[in-house]
Amino acid sequence: MPSTTTGPVAARSSRPSGTPRPSGPPRRSRSPLRRLRRNAVVLAGCAALAYLLLPNLVVLLFSFNKPAGRFNYSWRAFSTDAWTDPCGVADMCGSLRLSLQIAVLATLIATAFGTFAAFALARYRFRGKSTTNALIFLPMAMPEVVMAASLGTLFLNMRIQFGFITILIAHVMFCLSFVVVAVKARVMSMDPRLEEAARDLYAGPFQTFWRVTLPLAAPGIAAGAMLSFALSFDDFIITQFNAGPSTVTFPMFVWGAAQRGVPVQVNVIGSAMFVLAVALVLGGQLTANRRRRA
Amino acid sequence: MTTAAPLTGSSSPAPGPAEAPADPAGGAGDGRSRRGLTPYWLLLPAGLWLAVFFVAPLFYQASTSVQSGSLEEGFRVTWEFSHYTDALETYGAHFVRSFGYAATATALCLVIGYPLAYMIAFRAGRWRNLVLVMVIAPFFTSFLIRTLAWKTILSDGGPVVGALKSLHVLDATSLLGLTGDERLLATPLAVVCGLTYNFLPFMILPLYSSLERIDTSLHEAARDLYAKPSTTFRKVTFPLSLPGVVAGTLLTFIPASGDYINAQLLGSPNEQMIGNAIQKQFLNVLDYPTAAAMSFLLMALILVMVSVYMRKAGTEELV
Amino acid sequence: MTITLSGISKRFGDFTAVHPLDLTIPEGSFFALLGASGCGKTTTLRMIAGLEEPTAGSILLGDDDITRLPPHKRPVNTVFQNYALFPHLDVAENVAFGLRRRGVRSVRKQVEEMLELVQLGAMARRKPRQLSGGQQQRVALARALINRPRVLLLDEPLGALDLKLRRQMQLELKRIQTEVGITFVHVTHDQEEAMTMADSVAVMYQGRVEQLGPPAELYENPRSTFVANFLGTSNLIEAEVLPPEEGTSAGTDAGIRVKTAGADASASAGAGTGTGTGSGAGAGAGSGAGAGVGGDGEAALRLPSARCAVEGAEAGTKVLVGVRPEKISLTHADEAGTVPAGHNRLTGRITDASYLGVSWQYLVETPACPELTVYAQNVERDDRLVPGARVVLHWRPSHTFALDAAQDAAAGEEAL
Repeated sequence: MPSTTTGPVAARSSRPSGTPRPSGPPRRSRSPLRRLRRNAVVLAGCAALAYLLLPNLVVLLFSFNKPAGRFNYSWRAFSTDAWTDPCGVADMCGSLRLSLQIAVLATLIATAFGTFAAFALARYRFRGKSTTNALIFLPMAMPEVVMAASLGTLFLNMRIQFGFITILIAHVMFCLSFVVVAVKARVMSMDPRLEEAARDLYAGPFQTFWRVTLPLAAPGIAAGAMLSFALSFDDFIITQFNAGPSTVTFPMFVWGAAQRGVPVQVNVIGSAMFVLAVALVLGGQLTANRRRRA
Repeated sequence: MTTAAPLTGSSSPAPGPAEAPADPAGGAGDGRSRRGLTPYWLLLPAGLWLAVFFVAPLFYQASTSVQSGSLEEGFRVTWEFSHYTDALETYGAHFVRSFGYAATATALCLVIGYPLAYMIAFRAGRWRNLVLVMVIAPFFTSFLIRTLAWKTILSDGGPVVGALKSLHVLDATSLLGLTGDERLLATPLAVVCGLTYNFLPFMILPLYSSLERIDTSLHEAARDLYAKPSTTFRKVTFPLSLPGVVAGTLLTFIPASGDYINAQLLGSPNEQMIGNAIQKQFLNVLDYPTAAAMSFLLMALILVMVSVYMRKAGTEELV
Repeated sequence: MTITLSGISKRFGDFTAVHPLDLTIPEGSFFALLGASGCGKTTTLRMIAGLEEPTAGSILLGDDDITRLPPHKRPVNTVFQNYALFPHLDVAENVAFGLRRRGVRSVRKQVEEMLELVQLGAMARRKPRQLSGGQQQRVALARALINRPRVLLLDEPLGALDLKLRRQMQLELKRIQTEVGITFVHVTHDQEEAMTMADSVAVMYQGRVEQLGPPAELYENPRSTFVANFLGTSNLIEAEVLPPEEGTSAGTDAGIRVKTAGADASASAGAGTGTGTGSGAGAGAGSGAGAGVGGDGEAALRLPSARCAVEGAEAGTKVLVGVRPEKISLTHADEAGTVPAGHNRLTGRITDASYLGVSWQYLVETPACPELTVYAQNVERDDRLVPGARVVLHWRPSHTFALDAAQDAAAGEEAL
């Protein structure tokens, strides 16, 4: 039966109904206008992609600039000075180190706690579950500035010294939700029969978790951890409200520099991270592809 | 249980059958009660963290917003609601601007992001993963740096301004008050452009994930049933992608309305948003009650808008 | 190892998945639990595996009570539906999983041997998703068998395979079972699969075992409409038991005679030699139709008492008389005289004839039953057997069975 219907369908779909069939071969029209219309969505998509990537290209380009003054906003001359001396700006690499420290710690804590919570939410039924789900969801539906100001108000009221610890607390707070969502999605999609199979094959509760559950949940946990790291490393608003005078993270350094004058080295750091991350992702995919083919 | 119960169980009305553990086998005697506590132990660290550092601050903020006093003398709760009226009087325009810019940026994100999400889902073929990486890749550069790059792109002597000037676009937009007649920077258009750029991936990813789930045989079925491509899109594809549209618009609108970085870096004092005002009150003026009042107001307005929107969109499920 | 389930039952909230059930599965047998989805067969299997705790009752393995033993302490392994192969481990590691958990040090040789047994030696380093459905199925089998369990449980193991592969794997499973000699308990909804593989089959319906026995007995002598319809096809005809014939002593098994709604009509359509067939009650009583031919033979159907599932059936008891479609012979009405004496017979009209390759399937309308199905071997077909033709249907009394009329005559029909 299907074979008899595909003929007319194919013919129908090749021309909009109502318009007369164009003269010439009954295949897809080669008129440029028609082709443009068919591929309009691809063109629009590529334009959107260009819009997304343009600033990164500008950042990369201007990392080779030799600006006249303190601001690196207009092109003057090609130079690799900044690349050969990335830490040549006072305080920048220190702030980078601080950002990395906070991001690593916040990721570890948020990933651990978030994973526990995700397992509870994905695997158990208990009283207060929907409230907990709302509690987890709310930080993601809240403008950062609200969380920033309210947490800052709390620390002020509690007379807690702003600094490393307060930043860390804030970062773990907003990373938790993202970890929970990522891990929960993964755990809920896992086939419960795999764990039953493990129990059937002489694995006790601990071995089942260690040998089967955890490896299967790992992609979700890794995704949550990566998201945490990126969010924490790049966070500015919450950090600005909860940082002390001596704890200047990298985004805060850039913010300050935007007022005083942006050194080219900022572009170097931005570009280096971009290139490194893209290379890592692409490399990972290539090896995964090759392994799949082998 | 004692610590987890008040925070998770407070608003659950009926301790009904939901109490039972997921495992229907249950188990006898003490085994059951131990299993019943497990989820609470698992939730304890994250729940406590969120309760202390997310929920409690919101209450603190609410109470701070009705305090009066000064930094030197200390603040006391006096049920002083003048902060709210003052905030609305002084910063009413900021609120309007925030929501206006955020709504415009959200609409632009949808218009720009939908074709890209559609392309990745249905037309990218073997390039799909690569394009997805390209969408996420900008995140790897600090967004402050990328926003600063817009300063270069939109700079007064730059190619964008030059092109728009020669096309007399700037004349038209400056008449509408969106740009200056000579420049883009420090204009509403620049701020909206920055907001759109910054939150575009938050629109694209949910859109993509809901489009990707659509069975392509539905397209074929629609075409088989005499639908033109445009009709197929209107009647099949778009309705099925609505969950992504709702999630994407929320993920764009909420952070955009509280943002102050784009207004600060790309705008002038005339484009300041409510985020700028809160930031200034909190970090520069040190008028915490006013900052708290504005922040609380912002949160309340957003919650109202989001709940109305979600009811209209007919979807309660988000994540 | 013999498995004894005694009084075992399972409730989920208000729903009773398995009603108290007694079952003995003899050592070394290939035992099938057959039924439609939701009949409790999988729950029963999971209780044996330890993955579900019974609400009541006990499970014995040999002489050991394993009711409260967790699954990892039971010498029982399962081949799961859709296999449940660990996606993060390769084939060899999947197979070695159970041995490693029990602390076996050198597993390599055993794994190799086991993969040879299921003919997957070359696939040891593949990941499960790189295998075809049939290969995955064999990995799942190897993964369970390598542990030399006392009992192997198979939960719809062939459900995901296409027809041809399923046939092949049926034979393969049977071969392996004979080779390793352990007890197999096999859950399936496919009656053909159960019949080809199992030594004995328990048919389950709504949480209860309907009938238990070797496949041939279930097929030839079903004791309920569900079994009659679920295993193959049955023609079920409403009827009423007639009083015993005169002249037969109580001691001899003269069988049971029943009359159907079509008694009158069939008599008039037949040779018309009957006496007093005008009233239904008189039809049987009036004559010694025992070995007779003609009208009276048509009015009543006979069957051996052992094939009547209604206990203590006496005159007037309503029953459903059943006969399998392939047991019925079709003779054109013009040659009604050639019907062997002693056969049960009905007359009717062919309404549909369809060609099935190995056989023809006829639908015949009779007064007794609006639609009787008949399968006829596709040899020497009578060209006159076309829709509209009047025919005599006849079959041996020993191929007839009778069921309690109080049950749903269509039970098990739509079940897949």
